Parts: sequence; C-alpha cells; structure tokens
Amino acid sequence: MDALFAIEGLSVGYARKGLALENIILAVPRGGVVALLGANGAGKTTLIRAATGLIQFHGGSVAAGVVRFAGEPVHKLSPHARVRLGIAQVPEGRLVFKKLSVEDNLKVGAAILPASLRKDSLDPIYQMFPRLLERRHQAAGWLSGGEQQMLALGRALIGRPKLLLVDELSLGLAPLIVRSIYQQLRGAAESLGTAMLVVEQNARLALEFADHAYVLDRGRMALSGSAAEVAASDAMRASYLGGESA
Amino acid sequence: MSDASALVAVRARSPVWRRLVRVALGVGLLAVALYLPFVLTDRAAFGYRLSNVQLLNLGLSQIDLMLIAMLGALSLNFLTGCAGLISIGHAAFYATGAMTAAIVGSLWGWPFPVALLAAALMGAIAGVLAGLPSLRVRGLYFVLSTLAVHHVVAYIFLQVQVRWFDVSGVPYNPAALGGFALNTPLRWYFFLLAAVALVYWGLRNSLDTREGRAMRAMRDHELAAQASGVDVRVLRLKAFALSSAIASSAGATQAYFMTNISSEAFGLDFAIQFIAMIIIGGLGSLTGSLFGAAIWLLLPSVIAGFAPQGAGAVAALVAAHKPQLVQLIFGLLVIVLLIFAPGGVASLGRRLGALLAPRGPR
Amino acid sequence: MLAQVLFSGVALGSLYGLVALGFATVFKATEVFNFAQGMLAVCGAYFASAALSTFDWPFPAAVAFMAAASAGLGVAIYGVLIQPLSGRSMLAVIMVTIALSIVLHSAIEIVFGSQGRTLVTPLPTGVLTWGSLRISELHLTAAAVAWVCMGLFAAFFRFTSLGLLMRATADSHEAALVSGVNVNAMNRLAWAIGSLLAAIGGLFLGQLQIVSTDLESIGLLALPAVVIGGLQSIPGAIVGGVLVGVIEQLAAFYIAPESTEIVIYALLLLILLVRPWGLFGERELGRV
Repeated sequence: MDALFAIEGLSVGYARKGLALENIILAVPRGGVVALLGANGAGKTTLIRAATGLIQFHGGSVAAGVVRFAGEPVHKLSPHARVRLGIAQVPEGRLVFKKLSVEDNLKVGAAILPASLRKDSLDPIYQMFPRLLERRHQAAGWLSGGEQQMLALGRALIGRPKLLLVDELSLGLAPLIVRSIYQQLRGAAESLGTAMLVVEQNARLALEFADHAYVLDRGRMALSGSAAEVAASDAMRASYLGGESA
Repeated sequence: MSDASALVAVRARSPVWRRLVRVALGVGLLAVALYLPFVLTDRAAFGYRLSNVQLLNLGLSQIDLMLIAMLGALSLNFLTGCAGLISIGHAAFYATGAMTAAIVGSLWGWPFPVALLAAALMGAIAGVLAGLPSLRVRGLYFVLSTLAVHHVVAYIFLQVQVRWFDVSGVPYNPAALGGFALNTPLRWYFFLLAAVALVYWGLRNSLDTREGRAMRAMRDHELAAQASGVDVRVLRLKAFALSSAIASSAGATQAYFMTNISSEAFGLDFAIQFIAMIIIGGLGSLTGSLFGAAIWLLLPSVIAGFAPQGAGAVAALVAAHKPQLVQLIFGLLVIVLLIFAPGGVASLGRRLGALLAPRGPR
Repeated sequence: MLAQVLFSGVALGSLYGLVALGFATVFKATEVFNFAQGMLAVCGAYFASAALSTFDWPFPAAVAFMAAASAGLGVAIYGVLIQPLSGRSMLAVIMVTIALSIVLHSAIEIVFGSQGRTLVTPLPTGVLTWGSLRISELHLTAAAVAWVCMGLFAAFFRFTSLGLLMRATADSHEAALVSGVNVNAMNRLAWAIGSLLAAIGGLFLGQLQIVSTDLESIGLLALPAVVIGGLQSIPGAIVGGVLVGVIEQLAAFYIAPESTEIVIYALLLLILLVRPWGLFGERELGRV
C-alpha cells in the first residue's frame, strides 16, 4: 500500500457510550488531500482523535483495527510521539494557548524541530499569515476566530509535518475567510509536500479542495471515492448539496 | 444445567432467602454487640479464658473510643460522602462540643445531658457558620476555608482552656444520665452503642427523605439539583448543621469520657483521621464509615500483637516506633485504597456480595 | 524595632515564597493542591542532614545530594500517586497528598527518630550591625539564596524552550498534547522542581531552627501564601510568601508568638470570603 496514512478496520468506543466508529477503512496518499464528511455526531472527530492519539484523553479507546503511518502501526504510540513522526493536527476549537503570545504559540509548535532549524521556522509562517506577524506579541486569547484558526494552522505547519489533520476549520468563521484559508492551506501543503485529511461539515467547500473524499454515517463508512465522484453521487446531492449540483 | 437444578438455583437466590440471611446476620451482630463488652471486661467468653493476643489487645475503653469515633466518621461521611461538601476541619466541631460542654458542664455545673444538648446546639450553629463560605466559593477554595475554620476554632479552644481552666487541660465532671452514673467502660459502652445506633439510623432515614435524595443529587450534579427546584444553598447549610451537631455531641461525649481534654487532642491529625476513616470505609456509605472507624481502632492493636511474634529486628522496630508505624500503615492503606479500590471497604463488600449471590441463572 | 521585625519578616517570607513557588508550579502544571508540600520541605532538610551528619559529606556534595534526592522524590510521587489518580475527584487527590504527608512524617520519624537534629553547615551564623539594626547573616543568606533561586526559576520559565513548554502545558493540557508536547514529562519536571524548591526552603528553615518534623507546620504556611497571592499566579506565590512572612513576624512581635498561625489563617479566611482569587489571581472562579 502506497498510502502515507492508512486506517484498517478501526473500531473505537467511549466508556459507557458504546462504539462510536465501526470497522473504518481509510487511506491518505502521499501529498494528497482527503476530505472526511458526515453529519454532526457521525464520528469524524473520533476518527481524528484515534489518528492523533487523543482518544484516551477523551475517555475512549481503540477496540479493534490498526492505524498506520508510513507503513508502521502507530495506534499504540503516545500523542507526542506521533507528532514527532510527522502527524500534526489543527483540532476542533483550535486549542491555541490563550495566555501565550502568538509567537510563543508558534514556538511551541516548532519545539519538535532540531534546535538549528527553529529560529528560521517562524518566517515562512509569518509570510503565509501576515496577520500573525502583526499580532506576534499579543496573547492568543485576544485574537479573533479567524486569526486563531490561522495560528492553530501555523503552529501545526511550523513543524514541517508529513500529514496534517484539520478538524472543522470552518466552524464559526465567515465563508470568505474560510475559503481564503483553504486556498492558503492548499498552497502550503503543495509546497511542503504535506498530505492532508480535512474534516468538514461544509461538504461543498471541502470537495472543492480535496482529491478524495470519505463520508461517515453514524460511525460507519457510507461512501468513498474521488472528490468528483462523491460530489456527483446521489446521496451527497440529496443530503448535503441540496438538490441539483452547481 | 437441568431444569430441576436450575429451579433449585433460582430458589436458593430468591429474595426471601436473602431476607432470611440478612435477618440472621443482623441478629448475630446484635448478639455479638451485646455480649462483647462482657467478654472484654471478664477477658473470657462462655467461661473460657481468653489471652490478650486473642482479644487483639483490646480493652473496653478502646471500643468505647471507637464508638465515639464512629459518630465522627458517620457525621463526616454524611457531609462529604453524601452531600459532597469536602471538609478537612471536622475536628473543629469536636472541639466546639468539648468547649461547650466545658463551659456548660464544668463551669456552670449543669448535668451531662444538658451539656450534651448545648454541645449539639452550638455545633449546629458552628456548622452553619462554617458552611457560609460555601455560598461564596466552591471546590478547592471551600476546602481551604474549612482548613482556616479549623485553625480559628482550635485557637479559640486554646484560649478558653488557658483563660478559664487549666493550661494542662480542661477537666470535666463525671457524667451521669439522671441517676445512672456513667462511671465504668461497660456503662459507657451501652450508652455509646445506643448513640451510634441512633445516629446511624437517623442519618440513614434522613437520606431516604426527599431532602436527603436532593442532597445526594446536589453532590453529583449541582446544576441538575438546582433545576429540580431544590434550594441548594439552604440544603448545604442544613447538611452542615446536622453533621456538625452530631460531631459536636461526639466531642462533648469524648471530653466527658476522657474526663480531661487539652486542645492538642483536636489538632489537624484528628480531622485527617476521620477523612481516612471515611475513605477506607467508602465515601457515601454509612455502613462503610463504621468499618473505617473499626479499622482505625483495630490497626494499632493488630500491629502491637504482631510485635512479639516477628523477628527480633521487627519487634524492636515496632516497640520503639509503634505510633509512627500505625500512622505509616494507616497512610499507606489510604493511598492503596484510593488508587486501587476507590469505593473503600464498602465497594469491596459490595463486590464480594455480588460474587456470592449473582442474579439470575448462569 | 519595626525595621528589625520587617527585615526578618522579609527574610523568612522569602523562604516561604520559595516553598510557595514550588507549590504553585505543581498546581499550575497538574492542578494538584499538594498538601504534602510542607513535608517535602522537611524531607529536604533531612536529606541534607543525612548527607552532612550521617554520611559526613562536604557541604557542596550534601547540597547536590539533597537536590537530586528531592527532585527524584517529586518525580516518584508524581508517577506513583498522582498519575494513577488523574481524572479522579478532587477529594481523592487532596486525600492522597494528605496521606502522603502522613506517610512521609511517620517514615522520617521511624528512620531518624523523633528528636530534632541540628544542621552543621558552613553557612554564616554571625550578626551584622547596621546602625541600630542587628541583621542575622543567616537570614541574609537565606533571603539571598531564595531570591536567586526564584530569579533562576523565573528566567528558566520565561526564556528557555523547556520553560515555554511548561507554560504551554499549564495553559492547556489538551492543546499541549495536540502540539506534540510530552505532557507527562512536563508534569514530572514540574513535580521535581516543586519538590526541589521546597527542599531548599526546608534546608534554610532547618538551619534557622532545628531539623524536625515540626518544620512541617512552618512549611505548610506556604498554603495560605499561595492562596493569598493567587493560586494560579507565579508572582503571586512569591508575593504571598513574603507577605505571610512579614505578617507572621509582625504578629509574633506585636501580639504574641503563639498567635502567628491564627492570624495567618484568619487572614486566609478573610481573603477566601472577600477576594478568593487572591491578590494576583484571575477571577475565573465558579465550579472547580
């Protein structure tokens, strides 16, 4: 399998709540952009947590299956070990360090780089997001939603990850801003060679930027294929795109 | 499994059978409780002499102290385990009771029952005062306020002791219930046994009332309790008042029992011991608190009992540092229970019970 | 004489500030209110005493031993007691630290006996006179060391990469996990630091008085110090410590020596009722 990131037969459950994901199969090719779609509660965030190792933190556990990164199983590794391997994430809710400055936030993300590379790692991020440069000494908690999103992205990208997991980028943001962030993201990913797995409720937007797509429905994989295929499918058109596609 | 044996199995675990077992246990326990003091006084059972080691080095006075401790454990568990109000200042209410009894009984010369009543009343008032910070702060800050309250009350007791009584300790008149003088451990035993039974069943019943259930709801989810129309603040103060009244009476009782008390008796270690008891027994389980107090009593005796048996070095260690060893083991016991058996003895008991009487056929 | 009292108050307060700083570090990192912090100060004093008197080591070696041993103790406590209880109720965590202090207290008395011991160190014990003030050299040294330690710690926290990661972990555990920070390692480090700072405080307090388990109640004054200063605030811990030290000396001198504890705890009660988040804390109270 040539995929950079692969999930094979994964089942994940939360204590007292039962299985949230059942027998999931998913793959992200090197340098590819994959969209993960589905309604609220379908299990998208659970999947991301299983991938990044934060499932235990939220009271869940992997019941069955394997998560592979570059061919090696990683589902038993701690979260920070996975980040060191090259799996970065932009979590739902952004989770910036509110009391630290913008620059300090980025520096935390850069901490996984060897010391010699750390100093120069900030500039590319500031070039990508000039707003962050303007506000570099401000406490992250005071930033607007869009700026925090950029910060979370910057913090994830600064470590030159091989795989970027983005959870609900568009939540609480104006569509214009979201579109612009996605464009920048796509550009950065291409130049860095980073593969991406993007969780999105806004299916139409995600399908514009992705190569492949998967659709989750109540913990199970309902649909998968290229972005075009998925966009054209009857199910998508009916439930997410509302009638005739554009 | 054939139908016949399945039937037998089901009948063996029927509710009637379980009822019978429980009644038998209760009667047995009562018999032991009534005969025990005589065994300990005469150092013999049914005519057979018993050695000190067989009696776990226990004397009736220690059992009496255990009974008084049970009152403290029950009242603290009611407050912390059932109402969810963590208090590390419980010793303060003991001290309040002892103080009140000193003033009412020793200074003003009123008889024991009056002193006891006064202690309960003062305890309730002190409890409400101690509970007032809970209207302002919650969680960790509230726990700290109970620590501060403890120090304040301890100081007041010390001042009362030094100014109005004696630096070495506060003396108490001999206790008597009307004409019945409480002047032997045996008499104390029956008085205390009745007191513990009264408090135990009183608290048990109060937990079954609507207010009691609301209190437990308050512990588990305060917002939900509030939503159901319960005035959480008043409930909290009531819990404090009841718990402190009991603890205060226990403190007065202890003072009379010891006939002389000094402020050091009610230090922070004293309060911590109660917390240890309710954790060992199981938070929220009144029965568990009784066990916790019993273990607190038995531990030193058990350790002392092991001393002569063990090797020379161990025996010397135990002899030289017995009180520290007891503390050490007590502390370790609490830690081990916290990590491995959070429900305390009560949950272990429940697990055991479930093992012995599983529901339904296999 | 006010100046005299103020001076010893600030000197002692600096030591309290050091212990309180260790306390605040642990609290910010792992949200554990460590009731055993007073005992950790005592442990530090006993480590030093063992190295000096029992093993007969020179002072620098003894101090190094004390530092290593107390840092190791902090890490061990985190791994054995705190990590297994993560996610449990606050009472469980409070009780485990209280039980820990009981265990440490009795263990020390079993190993070392309950008599106090004197620390024999090359620390200066003379008295300087400055005008009408008599300044104890030991007080001066203690205060100086305390402030140097606090300064080093502040610099570490603010300027090093590791310090940044610790601040990040204290800000948000989850965000730290997400960003690739080894949160468990940060927690271990916090506990090592907390224990180490307490030990240094204990060393000097033991020198100023006598090394015995009674030092625990003095070390415990760090608790009100931290609350008065503000539970989540590093500078608050330091200021709170100095304040407690000054108030303690003022009370001892102007009221009575036995009144110090009650004055401080009465003040604690007042602060909890009027301004629970302390002098430097943030107002985000509510359900803890």
